[in-house]
Amino acid sequence: MRFRQFFFPSLTIRFLIRASLVALFAYLFFGHLCTPLLIKGHSMEPTYRDGSVNFCWKLRYLFSEAKRYDVVAVRFAGNKVMLLKRVVAVAGEGIEFRNGELFVDGKKIDEPYVRYPCNWNLPLRKVEKDCVYVVGDNRNMPIENHHFGQAPMKRIIGGPLW
Amino acid sequence: MVRIKYLIIAVLVVVFGVWGIWAAIHFVQSEEKKVKKQFHLLSEWASKETGENTFAMAQKIKNVGTLFAGHCELKADLISFSGRYTPEEISSYAARARFPFSNLSLKFYDFNVAFPEEGVAKVSLTAKLTGRSTTGEDMDETHELECVLKKMEKKWLFSELEVVEVLKK
Repeated sequence: MRFRQFFFPSLTIRFLIRASLVALFAYLFFGHLCTPLLIKGHSMEPTYRDGSVNFCWKLRYLFSEAKRYDVVAVRFAGNKVMLLKRVVAVAGEGIEFRNGELFVDGKKIDEPYVRYPCNWNLPLRKVEKDCVYVVGDNRNMPIENHHFGQAPMKRIIGGPLW
Repeated sequence: MVRIKYLIIAVLVVVFGVWGIWAAIHFVQSEEKKVKKQFHLLSEWASKETGENTFAMAQKIKNVGTLFAGHCELKADLISFSGRYTPEEISSYAARARFPFSNLSLKFYDFNVAFPEEGVAKVSLTAKLTGRSTTGEDMDETHELECVLKKMEKKWLFSELEVVEVLKK
């Protein structure tokens, strides 16, 4: 009886109100606060694999700002296309790559999440005000083919849930 | 009697007010539809189907130019295509850009249309370009665009078009 009631409930007013509230909560939560992400591309491997699923937690930076090592979702186009990247430098810091190694303000930064070989060279540049510098974890490709750089803070819409 | 008079005046004010609001919304919506139609035309004419014949290609390329104002400012640093161009130059560029592809699809999404002044429309949107080259390589590019269209002789024409650069190396 309970089994039947669970799968084929009677359409009472109480049930309809409850179903509407669940639907509204799901819409607000998964549509605006914790949106599902399908990861396409290899730029964050091996941390995030191509084809894997995650959620973008949009309240992550409500009371704080993104800091070095954070993985962030950068709004790329519209509200649905975003880039998943790692913050490597914040506003005011100088960033450069020397033979694949990251230097911030002249100091070598330890990056345990970079597992693949990299031979990038990028001259020193300063991160502008209200911006962060983001790079993918997978740098095993020519520097020209990797989408990275300085992103305005206002484009950071959250971070992955795990 | 006096009450009825005031009541009639109040009803008339409400009716005309509602009608005015409806007309304003309808005007904005119809202009918005016209602006969006230009993007749909650009999508149709820039796209390429497998086995497209030369006549259809020439017609599409010619049509692409008619969507742009006399001197359109383009800013697309990603593809090194920035500056002021005439409709003929844009048509010519479109022909060259389409050539290496066996099929190409340009779609626009997430329209955000604003009319900052009369005869000017600012549109922010997402453009998705997918296709396959004649050598068999797949292409899948998505970018945010900022466009300005101006109304000239009852037609909305692209006057400025910028590919938003989200990450600056």
